[in-house]
Amino acid sequence: MQVDLREFRAAYLAEVDEHLGAINAGLLAVEVANRAGRASPRELRELMRLLHTIKGLSAMVGIEPIVGIAHRMETVLRAADEAGGVLGDHALEAMIQGTRAIEAGVRAIAHDEPAPEASAALIAQLDAAEAAPASEQSLPPPIGDAQRPEIEPEIAEKLTASEREEVAQGIAAGRHLLRIDFAPTPAKAERGLTITTLRERILPLGELVRVIPLSRAATESAPGGLVFALLLLTEASAEIIAEAGGVPGSDVREILAARPLPRAVEVNRVEDLPEVVEAQRPGVLRVDVGRIDDTIEKLSGLIVTRSRLARAVGRLREGGADTRELEAIMIDNARQLRDLRAAILRVRMIPIATVLDRLPLVIRGLGRSTGKHVRLVLDGAGAELDKTVAERIFPALVHLLRNAVDHGIESPEERARAGKPEHATVTVTSSSRNNRQIEIRIEDDGRGVDRARVAEKAGRDVPTDNHDLLELLCRPGLSTRDAVNTTSGRGVGMDIVRKIVVEGLGGELALDTTAGRGTIFLIRVPLTIAIVDSFTLRCAGERFVVPVPVVEEIVELDPEKIMRGPRAGGRQARFFERRGETVPLVDLGYALGLGAESDGFTGKQALVVRRGHEDPVAFAIDRVLGQQETVVRPLVDPLVVVAGVSGSTDLGDGRATLVLDLLGLSAKLGRMRKDAA
Amino acid sequence: MSESAMVPAPAAQPNDAPVLHVLFKVDDAIYALPSDVVLQMESFTGATFVPGAPRFVAGIIQLRGRVVPVIDLRTRFGLPPRAPTLETRVVVGEQHDRTVALVADSAREVVRMTRAQLKPPPRLLDEGATGFVKAVAQLGDRTVMVLDFAKIIGEELMDV
Repeated sequence: MQVDLREFRAAYLAEVDEHLGAINAGLLAVEVANRAGRASPRELRELMRLLHTIKGLSAMVGIEPIVGIAHRMETVLRAADEAGGVLGDHALEAMIQGTRAIEAGVRAIAHDEPAPEASAALIAQLDAAEAAPASEQSLPPPIGDAQRPEIEPEIAEKLTASEREEVAQGIAAGRHLLRIDFAPTPAKAERGLTITTLRERILPLGELVRVIPLSRAATESAPGGLVFALLLLTEASAEIIAEAGGVPGSDVREILAARPLPRAVEVNRVEDLPEVVEAQRPGVLRVDVGRIDDTIEKLSGLIVTRSRLARAVGRLREGGADTRELEAIMIDNARQLRDLRAAILRVRMIPIATVLDRLPLVIRGLGRSTGKHVRLVLDGAGAELDKTVAERIFPALVHLLRNAVDHGIESPEERARAGKPEHATVTVTSSSRNNRQIEIRIEDDGRGVDRARVAEKAGRDVPTDNHDLLELLCRPGLSTRDAVNTTSGRGVGMDIVRKIVVEGLGGELALDTTAGRGTIFLIRVPLTIAIVDSFTLRCAGERFVVPVPVVEEIVELDPEKIMRGPRAGGRQARFFERRGETVPLVDLGYALGLGAESDGFTGKQALVVRRGHEDPVAFAIDRVLGQQETVVRPLVDPLVVVAGVSGSTDLGDGRATLVLDLLGLSAKLGRMRKDAA
Repeated sequence: MSESAMVPAPAAQPNDAPVLHVLFKVDDAIYALPSDVVLQMESFTGATFVPGAPRFVAGIIQLRGRVVPVIDLRTRFGLPPRAPTLETRVVVGEQHDRTVALVADSAREVVRMTRAQLKPPPRLLDEGATGFVKAVAQLGDRTVMVLDFAKIIGEELMDV
């Protein structure tokens, strides 16, 4: 059996992508901890685990540059872990650059290009970080050994420096450390109590520092000669933990009491994955999107069969047969098909949070490069959208954030003069509307768009309303001029934003701005889209779109080589010879019912299509105009569900252009011929 | 649920609060749709023809990122076609998860009508228009026909 390496690659990309998302979030958490003067031992260990996984995966598929970068980053983290769980600002920056380099490599692979080697600058940066992982970090000294609480030696000797630091921090933050002893036995497993289920039960109640396996003499209560000691930092009492874990109270005891802290400390609970039990996230399956699309394709086939069935039932009824039972079944069947389609589409949905979670890092970078103080508020990350939509919307959001920080938000001095808080706020809110669209709102409290200046740059009158202002901002010329002259005004890449939102995703873009108060951009995009590589063509004076994979060949028609057969069923039979095969020729405009059958084929082309192993059919058209990616919106209303048309697209003129289903059309012609016979 | 919400309102609402209706003209007749069915009104610049769709379907249009079928009310009501003018409007309605636009010769008025004002359609009118008219109302010297949106868009098509 042949193994398709590309299939592995898709799975690789999906998995690495997910880990990169977690790494970005983790680095951000480290930065937050640094600013608060806290060490971040847990975050560092989680980052180490993620990078280790990326390294392993990349080695498996032989992507050496990524293996190298991930390895160096892991080394930096190990050094930081040994230094008490502190990753200084310089080392953090090196880690962020390293992550960018891995991302660049992954993007290259996704485009069928080799991953670039790590730059010398990055290597030097990572080496420096490894040598001094905690430098430039004005952390308060880690909790001194004198204050450090004592842990029983059997446990203490198994803990790493950063784990001890973590425990000390937890105790200082007002939690106590519990030790839960668990000896796995077959009897317990039968009751559903294993080390994995125990972990899952107690995890929501605290912070699991470590699961330590301890060997014991085999006894009746520990037949495997093995006892796990789970160390849990928690605010809950030992009784509650025993109850939640389903273990006897005698197996849970406090080994360190809480020490109340003078100031409030933010309590972050991070999911823990100790190395003892490699727990899988329950019920999550990673699937190549292509396979889901394939399923949808199969479903379309089913829907076509159903409509044939419906017609057959109709003919029976017309013939006087009692079809009531059949019709009742058909109604059930239609509902089931609708439900199935909805269920499959749901599989493609991911939480908007996976997109929004990458934004804080963008803001962080922008804040650094502009010297402005910006706070990002994310709201409403619960909505779900199609993975393709999520991927495509991200660059538009980055553009809008960049505009907000570069142009909308004032310098700290200017804000002070205007009586605004020093820290500007950018709020990104998302919500789903009527199950069809997702709305993302990007709001800043900056100076607002300078209408007069935008008008001046565009050489137009000052727009009176926001709609006209947005039109001006989205003029392609405006962006380049603005990019050169970055003093003020908004407009960098707005034409690109509109292209992504309106043409790329079939959505809407709106603007609301008030001078001195700030700007709101509103994006609405459909929750799901289908993107298809398509030919655009002209036929009977109209433009149409046909998916590329359907077309076997585009043929230049030579009128002299087109043969005519007898007229049948009101239609002139025509065909031509192609590589020893007879290909029937049908005028597409006529087949669509757009007009009389054309007789002149001079200068025209034909699209050859073939259903499975059937004979090919050629559809005569005026010309193929071009090839482009199109967003296909299915026609779902029963009024416009017709054979031969699969959907509609916007070619950029704001009008609906039909996407033709030539296979469906040729099947319909075949049936017409049979009916006529 | 709170207890008070379970108890029916003491004095049953007479339920003749005025309901907002959108008025529009097709030929010389005035029609109405309750405003809770109407999503929006737009000027009409033509639709993309969909071959094979019912004759009364003018085609599809794009409305704020959505693709919506358009019913030509003139054809639906058996009237001769007329080219769109500056007055021509699409009245976009939504019901039972379907969004369909209706082309009217003009539309520019919104009125409030109480339930008491709505009378069953005269028998002959009812038969002549295959149930499209749900009620009639007299507004001064004008007769307004309230349309059954579900019938217009062919609710029976739903399971086909």
